[in-house]
Amino acid sequence: MRTYITILLAIVLLVSCKKEPVNMGWKYSHSISVKGVNPIGIALTKEGIWLSDGDHFRVVQVNEQGEIIKSIDSLDRPMHIAAHNGQLVIPQYGNDEVIRFREPASPEGGSERIIVSLADSLDAPAGADIRANEIAIADFYNNRVHYAGADNKWIIFGQEGKLDGDFYYPTDVQITENALWVADAYNNRLQKFTKEGAHLLTVGEDQNMNAATGIYVSDTQVFSTDFENDRVLVFDLEGNYKQSLTGAINKPTDILIKEEVLYVANYKSSSLSVFTWEQLEIIEENHQEEHHHHDEHEGVLEDNK
Amino acid sequence: MKHTKIILMLLVLVGVTMHAQKELDKFEVQVDGLGCPFCAYGLEKKFKEFKGIKKVAIDIETGDFSFLYPSEKALTMDAVIAQVEKAGYTPNEAKITRADGKVETSGGNTTVLSKESVVVSQQLFAAGKCGMCEARIENTVLGIPGVTAAVWNKDNQQLKVTYDKSQTTIDGIQKEVANVGHDTKAHQATADAYANLPACCHYQRLEQ
Repeated sequence: MRTYITILLAIVLLVSCKKEPVNMGWKYSHSISVKGVNPIGIALTKEGIWLSDGDHFRVVQVNEQGEIIKSIDSLDRPMHIAAHNGQLVIPQYGNDEVIRFREPASPEGGSERIIVSLADSLDAPAGADIRANEIAIADFYNNRVHYAGADNKWIIFGQEGKLDGDFYYPTDVQITENALWVADAYNNRLQKFTKEGAHLLTVGEDQNMNAATGIYVSDTQVFSTDFENDRVLVFDLEGNYKQSLTGAINKPTDILIKEEVLYVANYKSSSLSVFTWEQLEIIEENHQEEHHHHDEHEGVLEDNK
Repeated sequence: MKHTKIILMLLVLVGVTMHAQKELDKFEVQVDGLGCPFCAYGLEKKFKEFKGIKKVAIDIETGDFSFLYPSEKALTMDAVIAQVEKAGYTPNEAKITRADGKVETSGGNTTVLSKESVVVSQQLFAAGKCGMCEARIENTVLGIPGVTAAVWNKDNQQLKVTYDKSQTTIDGIQKEVANVGHDTKAHQATADAYANLPACCHYQRLEQ
């Protein structure tokens, strides 16, 4: 009889307190010190993670412990780098050049540095991205974006301003399958464009960002570093706010996802903050209803992917 | 004989190099608010545009900025400070070591108190948002005759100023702050002054 009562109580408890793991999000895991490096850009090749270190005129490859295992030196203030198919694209803020860098094919061979030929000059390229035969560059002082598709024809769009389609010092850019995304840094927002340069979407204007310096776009989310506020904001692809990441973030400049792990490059603290995609909280639906905590409930749901 | 010739040529070369080095003035400027690499590298870039400039070096951590410039061009302290300010920065102190060894310095608070001085401390609102704003506001206020101390808090945008009432007024201080682009309760910055601020200093303007 006692056993029956216990089972019955357990069933009643389970039914009355139905737990649904619906609140998934990015959770701070740990930090990796990258001693001696003040990272600005972060990129991934088959060999691993690369960081641009503008303060020290180099781009370095680091291992999982943050130790430097390779260094590309003699660069002039390298900024937001990108990688594709073993090639690194490095915008150099100091000399207005963007180079394609490829490591030597054999230990005896030399590395390859090719200056990207453009339709017009740059003034402080702050970010670049490549995707197959496409390349895009954020042209900081000119308040423009340069983009060349597979046909290698450049289009240039943007001008200084606050309106949709304008820029106020763009610092980073990302090419996706159908769009170009730009970190419009000192307008404190992100913008999405067609590959012809037509404005599609403005993101994060209501989030009080203070310098949206870096952007990363995954298959489902858009990330922006909020430099002065020491956080990374997460949006869905429609631009709806989802989450604010703050764990050990100190003057963040760029973001990267590698195998379901999110890395944030921290310029000031010489570190990478590591986040994993996890269940953040268990929402107890029935209890929420009983206590009429609807506002709190909605706040939690806001963090869903 | 061959060796003697080579040594002689090397000596001449060293002599020429040393002479060339003597013809350069050394400029050292201490700048606050270099926290953002985009702006800091921008300052460096703007100075690199000077023809003949050499060894431009900037330490973002300390704010130490230095370069060499041909002495024949007689670059003045005022011109250097103006160029730093044009790039959006506020120099704290500057030092020029001329090729002939003469040293020129600038910066620092020069307020002198007297028997008539009435020193008071007051808090006032000064709009801003970053380390560069902090440097600009504090240095501007410290440059006003009669002010002895100025500390601006980025979080609440409050400026604590200590000044001699016989030499300046709180209204005058607010006017100077507005002149360099930062809104105060009493005086709003002009559109031009606000627009001339570096990108990262563009705070939410006060409605007046």
